[in-house]
Amino acid sequence: MKPIRTDFRGYEGKFVATDTRTGKIVIADEDPKVVMEKARKLDHVVVGGRVPHADEPLYVGLG
Amino acid sequence: MFRPFVPVSLAVAGASTPELEGLIDTGADGVLASDLLAEELGIDLSEHEGEATHAVGGRTVIARYKTVALRLHHHDAGPEELRQWETLVGFVEGWHSFGLVLLGSVGFLDRWTVTASRFAQAIAVEDRNAFDNRFGIVAPA
Repeated sequence: MKPIRTDFRGYEGKFVATDTRTGKIVIADEDPKVVMEKARKLDHVVVGGRVPHADEPLYVGLG
Repeated sequence: MFRPFVPVSLAVAGASTPELEGLIDTGADGVLASDLLAEELGIDLSEHEGEATHAVGGRTVIARYKTVALRLHHHDAGPEELRQWETLVGFVEGWHSFGLVLLGSVGFLDRWTVTASRFAQAIAVEDRNAFDNRFGIVAPA
C-alpha cells in the first residue's frame, strides 16, 4: 500500500476536501459550509479544513 | 508533512457531518472539534454540558462540551465498516485549521489501539484489546 499524498499548493486560505483514494483535492472554497455541503453528496471524500498560508505559524494540535 | 489523520464524522439527533479528517493527538485529554461542526449539526452550544479552558498550540481556547456520536470510517470500505460510539466533544470557537477534529485520550484513545508510523507513513486503528494482546495486560480492569 502506497502512502497517499496531497499537494495543497494553490489552495492556501481555502477550505478543502480530498478524495480518499487519490489524495487529490476535489472541493475547495473559502466558505466551509460550501465544502461540507458538496462533500455530503460525494463518496470517498473527506473534509480536511482550511489550508494555511505559507507564512502562517505551524500549530501543534489545534490551529 | 505527515500527520496521523483518520476519517471520522459526528452525528446527533438525525443530523451528521460529512466525513472529516480527524487528527489523532496522544497529548490531548479528550476530543475537541471546530464550532463549525456544531453549527453543521444544529447544536446550540449555549446549552452545553460543561465548559473548559485548554492551552493548545501556545494559546488558550474555550471548549463547550456536548455528547454526540463519534463515527470512525474506513477509507477502503463501505458504511458497513463504520464504528460509532457516544462521547463528549468539546467544541472550540474560531478553530478553522486543517483537521477540524482532534482525537485525544478520553473518547478516542480509550477505545482504540492506535499505531502510527512516520516511517511507513500509515496509521493502524485496532480494537483496544489489541494492545494487551500484543504486550500483555499492563492495567488490570
